[in-house]
Amino acid sequence: MKFRAKIVDTACLNHFTRVSNMIAKLAKTCTLRISPDKLNFILSDKVANGGVSMWCELEQENFFSEFQMEGVSAENNEIYLELTSENLSRALKTAQNARALKIKLTNKHFPCLTVSIELLSVSNSSRVVTHDIPIRVIPRKLWKDLQEPTVPDADVSIYLPVLKTMKSIVEKMKNISNHLIIEANLNGELNLKIETELVCVTTHFKDLGNPPSASEDVSQDRNPEQMAEVRIDIRRLLQFLAGQQVNPTKAVCNIVSNKIVHFDLLHEDVSLQYFIPAFS
Amino acid sequence: MTEEVDGRRPTEARTGPSATSNLAALWEREGGGRVRSRSFGGCGRHPGTWGRRAEARLGALLGRAAAMLKCGMSGSQVKVFGKAIQALSRVSDELWLDPSEKGLALRSVNSCRSAYGCVLFSPVFFQHYQWSTSVKMNDNDSTSSNLNCKLGMKSILPIFRCLNSLERNVEKCKIFTRSDKCKVVIEFFCRHGIRRTHNVCFQESQPLQVIFEKNMCSNTLVIQPRVLAEAIVLFTSSQEEVTLAVTPLSVCLKSSSDEPVDLTSSVYSEMFVGPDEFDFFQIGVDSEITFCFKELKGILTFSEATHAPIAIHFDFPGKPMALSIDDMLLEANFILATLADEPSRASSPQSLCLSQKQKRSEPLSSNSEAGKNVTSKAPECILRKVAPKRLYPKETLTDVSALENCGSPIMKRANGDRSEVSESSVSDTEEVPGPPYLRKFSCMFFGAVSSDQQERFNHPFDSLATASDSEEDMNDGSFSTF
Repeated sequence: MKFRAKIVDTACLNHFTRVSNMIAKLAKTCTLRISPDKLNFILSDKVANGGVSMWCELEQENFFSEFQMEGVSAENNEIYLELTSENLSRALKTAQNARALKIKLTNKHFPCLTVSIELLSVSNSSRVVTHDIPIRVIPRKLWKDLQEPTVPDADVSIYLPVLKTMKSIVEKMKNISNHLIIEANLNGELNLKIETELVCVTTHFKDLGNPPSASEDVSQDRNPEQMAEVRIDIRRLLQFLAGQQVNPTKAVCNIVSNKIVHFDLLHEDVSLQYFIPAFS
Repeated sequence: MTEEVDGRRPTEARTGPSATSNLAALWEREGGGRVRSRSFGGCGRHPGTWGRRAEARLGALLGRAAAMLKCGMSGSQVKVFGKAIQALSRVSDELWLDPSEKGLALRSVNSCRSAYGCVLFSPVFFQHYQWSTSVKMNDNDSTSSNLNCKLGMKSILPIFRCLNSLERNVEKCKIFTRSDKCKVVIEFFCRHGIRRTHNVCFQESQPLQVIFEKNMCSNTLVIQPRVLAEAIVLFTSSQEEVTLAVTPLSVCLKSSSDEPVDLTSSVYSEMFVGPDEFDFFQIGVDSEITFCFKELKGILTFSEATHAPIAIHFDFPGKPMALSIDDMLLEANFILATLADEPSRASSPQSLCLSQKQKRSEPLSSNSEAGKNVTSKAPECILRKVAPKRLYPKETLTDVSALENCGSPIMKRANGDRSEVSESSVSDTEEVPGPPYLRKFSCMFFGAVSSDQQERFNHPFDSLATASDSEEDMNDGSFSTF
């Protein structure tokens, strides 16, 4: 198993750092899948996560000037690693104005992802910083749990409002209730509702727009005014929103009534899918 | 620099037979010791000497006079002063205010005695600076002691919070204390006529100070704070110790965490800095020392405030290292213990000797003498094996309070999984490479040296003869007392 990659472009480096910061906010421990043309950050839906799952994909060509990998075997040319996300984001933080960044898989007493940064100091001499991030290689038999989740047939698909606004609203709502109902319809209306014994608070978003749906039948049968709703844990939603530092290029929310809410975001060329199941 | 004696003993400082006899006469007449004065050439030149003498005689009859500190600074000086306090707060929760003729020293020692910080503000740093020692009469003897003032960090740190706003708003800051008042009064004269007064109670306690010859270290690096600051970012706050490895060709700062065992282990980071990034680079001995990160961060923020480079003096693992900032107006020294690489034996022969400051018995006894006396008691500075690998207060030693009272070396028991307290002394370093898990670390032992005042009183003329007024004689150069 081998992996070696290099980033020399500052913009790519900053983008990669931003992605890593986002992942660090979304998942404490995650899986990094390395394949010949992609890098994936995966969080599988385990009870420990509250059933939340995440799939983040980026094309390696868009970031790395050099990229070489050799998977577990020829037929399974992939590498699955488990790491603590914060370690990677912190290591990348020191690469703010780096000349070059190299990542490689190493085994110094313990398997590590070694991030090596070449900084240009004021006195024009190079300074080299190295971080060895401990990782765990995930055996092939567990790979099946870490595959790309199937996008469910949503009852309603809607474009999300500005995420920062949503985040500040959900933050305040968190103080009142643990559960939140997210509902939307095909008229571009999205509501965030909380209900307690003493108070009900609803925030209405209008004119959001709906993406063209894949299956014609569903959308035609459905009354545009009818809301599809899911009741979810408010903290999971907040965690998701807190991870979005920058407003994405595209943000879609798919709701399967009373089952699951699926967020599909696109940050420039990095796609992020986040699933929050209904609170049972 | 003036020194106000505030109606205590007459201030005379002269050498020469006539002076001696004058002083001797004074001694017999008034039967007491006197406060040392620095700037007065002789009798009569000090304004109001005769009046003060009368007052002093009254004071003599009353049998005591209090030690005093009075100083004032401007808004921007307050910021530097506050930064010093913040840097020292990283060392420990207690702060000594220790005025002397060299200036006002702020000292701090951590509870497990593995770190010591001292920031000495010279008298010219302040807008005005006055101090005196106290003189206490006991029959025919008199003891003169300094202001032994220990403050809690919790009390004083909040006063010097928000330094930027203090710098903007404070026009003048006055600090005043007397040993008989048991509180320190800090007054801020702010804009718009606002005056803010803080009264902080202090505890009477003799400050500890360190004797460490930083100039004798084989390795010295001087670096701009900005460069170190970039290195600091690498290390997470969960990593408490950092290792500095040097060779004549390169310097490497790296995390000294244990080898990773699982995902949750911390990241191992290292950063290489080329020799040309240092203002001064002298490596006599290839060495790798490990020390506590917290204090490094403390002195770094302080150095950024003073815009002065940091000098790092060190030798081999186990021997303490010094981080210092030397400016015209102030001198900061942080002495840190380093991790010794020895499995089971006491390591480095040179430990950090700490002494309680000698009580000043004679007005004319010089610091150098005090320094000499202390060093002659070097055997009392003992390297104590502290089993736990870490440098933190929370992990170790008991009976710390006993230290300050004893005149003789004390056995200390370390709590910890692998306690191995070895008997006394100072032995030679043995280069026995041991398995990493047995690395012990040597604690700087703060020896409380017994004051030999009685001895001095028997020979008052001896000390008079060697005494002098001038600054050069204060430190005879062989030992730096911080």
